[in-house]
Amino acid sequence: MSYPKIRLSLIAATLAYASLAVADDDPRHVRHELMESVGKAAKPIGKMLKGESDFDGDVLMSSLRTFEDAAGQFGELFPAGSNTGEDTEAAPAIWEDRAGFEEALAKWQTAVADAIAAQPDTLDAAEPVAGPVFQACKACHETYRIEDED
Amino acid sequence: MARIGRVVLALLAIGLLAAWWITRPQALPRQELPDREPDPVAGERVFWAGGCASCHARPVGGKRARGNDKLLLGGGLELDTPYGVFRVPNISSHADDGIGRWSMIEFVNAMQRGVSPRGRHYYPSFPYTSYAKMPIGDVMDLKAYLDTLPAVAGRSAGHTLDFPWSLRRGIGAWKRRYLDSAPVIRVDAVDPMVDRGRELVEGAGHCGECHTPRDRLGGLDADRWLAGAPNPDGEGRIPNITPAGENIAAWSAGDISYYLESGFTPEFDTVGGSMVVVQENMAKLPPADRKAIAAYLKSIPARE
Repeated sequence: MSYPKIRLSLIAATLAYASLAVADDDPRHVRHELMESVGKAAKPIGKMLKGESDFDGDVLMSSLRTFEDAAGQFGELFPAGSNTGEDTEAAPAIWEDRAGFEEALAKWQTAVADAIAAQPDTLDAAEPVAGPVFQACKACHETYRIEDED
Repeated sequence: MARIGRVVLALLAIGLLAAWWITRPQALPRQELPDREPDPVAGERVFWAGGCASCHARPVGGKRARGNDKLLLGGGLELDTPYGVFRVPNISSHADDGIGRWSMIEFVNAMQRGVSPRGRHYYPSFPYTSYAKMPIGDVMDLKAYLDTLPAVAGRSAGHTLDFPWSLRRGIGAWKRRYLDSAPVIRVDAVDPMVDRGRELVEGAGHCGECHTPRDRLGGLDADRWLAGAPNPDGEGRIPNITPAGENIAAWSAGDISYYLESGFTPEFDTVGGSMVVVQENMAKLPPADRKAIAAYLKSIPARE
């Protein structure tokens, strides 16, 4: 096998792998990735609230937009049959009590929308609107996520 | 032959008497109560540190009580364990169904000696082996606070336990091995913050009851103090919270107290499982108490 051929096959393999990743629309994977992005976006806000980093309004707004995007998608990402497998941490309660789940999700959506509308430009302004956003995370996880300790 | 029979009978009687003596409930005499006026405000702090409501608040609609319902201590929660089903009693201020008529010494003996006002052993599902390590003043303050809470009518059914656990007297022997008011972790340096943390973690907070593995007799394994244990509620494990713990090792003392206050880990993931109620209780403590807990957890030996 000549050198260019190896390179071509490498490129082909990479492309195939990439298309596989793009084509992965398994809701268990999509929602997991989405939740990971939410966690990453939460961290800088949390550090500001905790006093570990300086307030940065742009970072705050960008994180809130990530929440908004995720909050808008989550409702569709727990279809029937996606309740088990792939190490999902989704709790059975999502399917047993869909109305309760949607209510918990709506609380998050509302809290995020309120925070975006407030456009906080100081830490003092951010605290009262960020609090409900974080509380909504916690409240929903408590009932609708399985704990996978250790 | 008759003489051998008499000897056997006599030995048996001596053995029974010895067992009776060894397993006797050992209450603290009234005169050992310190002479002080209990403080209900300080007692409220002990109440949240101890998480009394997490077991004793009467469930509402099959779910755990929230908000002000946590102050209605009518009991009724069922704990399904390998030993059988324990039913949590009413500890409200109700005179007949709760503990409204209890004297201070009766309350202290329940909390720190596991002995009821009628002189019987409590099962250690009521974690008096932890409460034994509390300062007695905190226990007295707690009673003063409980006295201010509403009376709730109604009694829970008794426990349904498997043999031999159903023999309550046997708890006396178990207590000889596991009931001790001495600290679990002794450190040489005297740091008041670590000491306060120790009181909260080893005593009222009874953190070891879930975070420390148990031996075959159900006692805590002090050599693996807070090193993590199987989850008593089912699947998974309760994490190791010594400095060797997989997650907590990287947490600063500030991260630990922030977690107890807010429910968020340093990665801004949220508290989960049975820790949710614990964290909500800890959030009600003054910041100095959460700092003390963090300081203590950073000071204890790392255990795998």
